[in-house]
Amino acid sequence: MFAMQSIHSSIAKLKQTALALSIGLGMGVTLQAESSPELIKQLQSLKSNDASNQIATDTIRQLNAANDVTLIQSLTAMKGATPVGRNWLMGLANSLYRKSGKSQTAELNKFLSDATQDGEARYTVFKWLTASNAELRKTLLDGMKQDPSPELRYLAISEAVQAKPDTKELLSLLDSARHAEQVVSIIGVLKEKGTVVDQVKQFGLLTEWKLIGPFDNVGTVNFDKVFPVEADWINGKVKDEYESKLVADGKNVNAKWINESAKSEDGTIDVAALYSNEKGCIVYAATEFDSEKEQDAELRLGCINGNKTWLNGKLVMSNEVYHTDMKIDQYTEPVRLKAGKNQILVKISQNEQKEQWAQRFAFQLRVSDSTGKAILAKGK
Amino acid sequence: MRFKLRNTFARCALAFGFAPAVFTSSLQADWPQFRGPNAGSVSLDSKLPTKFGGESNANVAWQTKLPGRSVGGAIVIGDQVITTSSSGMDQRRLHLISVNDKDGSIRWQQEFVARGRTNCHPTSAIAAPTPVSDGKYVYAFYSSNDLACVDLDGNLVWYRSLSTDFPKAGNDVGMSSSPIVVDGVCIVQVECQGDSFAAGLSCQDGRILWRTDRPKQSNWASPVAIKLPSGEQVVVMQSSQDLLAVSPKTGKTVWTMDVKCSSIPSAMAAESRLFVPAAGLTVFDLSSAGAVPSKLWDNNKLAANACSPLVVGKRVYTISRTVLASADLFSGELKWQARLPDAKSIWSSPVVAGNNLYIFTEDGKCFVVNLGDEKGEVVETNDLGESVLGSPAISGNALYVRGVSSLWKIAEK
Repeated sequence: MFAMQSIHSSIAKLKQTALALSIGLGMGVTLQAESSPELIKQLQSLKSNDASNQIATDTIRQLNAANDVTLIQSLTAMKGATPVGRNWLMGLANSLYRKSGKSQTAELNKFLSDATQDGEARYTVFKWLTASNAELRKTLLDGMKQDPSPELRYLAISEAVQAKPDTKELLSLLDSARHAEQVVSIIGVLKEKGTVVDQVKQFGLLTEWKLIGPFDNVGTVNFDKVFPVEADWINGKVKDEYESKLVADGKNVNAKWINESAKSEDGTIDVAALYSNEKGCIVYAATEFDSEKEQDAELRLGCINGNKTWLNGKLVMSNEVYHTDMKIDQYTEPVRLKAGKNQILVKISQNEQKEQWAQRFAFQLRVSDSTGKAILAKGK
Repeated sequence: MRFKLRNTFARCALAFGFAPAVFTSSLQADWPQFRGPNAGSVSLDSKLPTKFGGESNANVAWQTKLPGRSVGGAIVIGDQVITTSSSGMDQRRLHLISVNDKDGSIRWQQEFVARGRTNCHPTSAIAAPTPVSDGKYVYAFYSSNDLACVDLDGNLVWYRSLSTDFPKAGNDVGMSSSPIVVDGVCIVQVECQGDSFAAGLSCQDGRILWRTDRPKQSNWASPVAIKLPSGEQVVVMQSSQDLLAVSPKTGKTVWTMDVKCSSIPSAMAAESRLFVPAAGLTVFDLSSAGAVPSKLWDNNKLAANACSPLVVGKRVYTISRTVLASADLFSGELKWQARLPDAKSIWSSPVVAGNNLYIFTEDGKCFVVNLGDEKGEVVETNDLGESVLGSPAISGNALYVRGVSSLWKIAEK
């Protein structure tokens, strides 16, 4: 018995070696024969660069040809893999599913029910299992409104909202929802039913700001210029006034800090309104966030203009993009909040485009956990 | 006999290391890229029905519903019609789908998750570029700058997240430049306000063979391959600041011109001329051996807001909003204009079969225009009842239309 297994194992290894050699010779490179689990490990840690791509291309070729790699192996490997590695593994999994997936329903159901597995892999499996089974789809989604997979949770909540639930259920769905557009949508449905939700609080949007400007950005050339107020703020000590850009009447006016509260339900600070639709300029906005404890968080910015964001003196975001879009959670960045007061500075850069659709000068910012759930400041 | 060459051309192109260039032939039945062979948008020998769709579903061979949405076109390789789609939360799921030409059934699907930005205008989609094939592999590119290469059975060959390499590459209106394949190199044009570049990637393994900086301006136009008198193939790229030709294998500049081109409609080449949407339409001479092509003519009455120009016989055709214009190929003289009655927005570049031009509108109507010497006559207005933003493909005597949510085969019943 064991002798036979050993022979089969040897033959399998010989086949792998022959395959690897033939591929290697064909490609002009030398490959080492490795087992499928070892090859899958290589895909898990892939980055997006030329060296990785050469290795991955050879690896996927071997895995596509191998007979001993299983669908569940490829899906399981997605847990802990890099984002790039997950896509290579998903490519492999799709091929394996075409070959034998429909005979592995039990294994796939078990995989899907294991919420510790990779969320993208589980969503893929969900789609396979429910592609032609509407009843199963409904049953599964009913239990996925708080699923750790953002895609499964989003879909489950979407379907539940479409089923016209009552207010109590809608409030429960709102509590589970993390996707910004979905949250706004549920708040809208609740409003139609007569229940008003504080959207600013729901998102944790920061509403109280101090702004200063305008500073010169004619020709859109000063996005990276460190204005004195920026240097001072990073060093933790700002003055009350700074020299501003030339304004319309040709005079220099000292820029002073002004207080502004966001008035709209999406927490937008309308910078254009505060600075008379000034073009070719930069405005800084500062606020502080009082954190209950030291914790991981995300700064989530929406801005239609070029923007930079600092947290406690450290630059965390920079996007020199003008007039493409603005929405909640447009730019997200993981940060570490310290316990107590955290200082936030946003630099908003307006260009000089004349088109009617290029006149907005605005931003919004919130603090959330990694899933998008609001983190509220102490006492809020 | 005519269509026996299906897929053969592309295989030969791969084997001999060249890509379709300047000539306009009607013999290839494959439609391997955005605007088909040579990016010409023309299949002269194809016989397509002029009347289709509508309540009677006339001449619809099949319609296949697909996941999510797409504003790119389909390609045809052998008996496969291949298209992309984006679905799910934020359109993060990127699909590459092969449909059997015979009956519209799904042959295979591949799927990835977007690793770049997935913001886009509501009318657009993350599946916006049209895929391309060299007859051996299919290359699918998305607005999120994810680029995947699969074989003709749908098996992954390689994958590349260009937004991981270049994190500021992106445009929240949505990117849509379609890739091309020349001399074993897959070329992408990723022009935006952030990391703006063009790159050539090895068709074998996705290595970046070259990368060149491009103007930091949003651009949706696609690169086009042309053949120089020397026989050398070059890749022409346009932007609002320049017109550039590079070697496909090295990315080295062959020539560059200070021409302010349109950023949506793309250039094309025919009859040893390069037709560039710039100052209306500007035409350059590709027949001389000089380093930089000389300008032959321009005509601001031939402006195009979205649709790429095309050439049939001795005429060039452009579409400005809802007006089709025909001009003399050699002089640029405007010969006639035809208004497309009650047409809504047009994003899809037109195609020509026989002597009829097919142009789809965003609300799913298709105007069939007979291209006469003296006038263009709308001979039929069809309605698919589905938004169409991608350019159709032609193969044999069939028209393949990628609607936003389904794929159609139109052929005489």
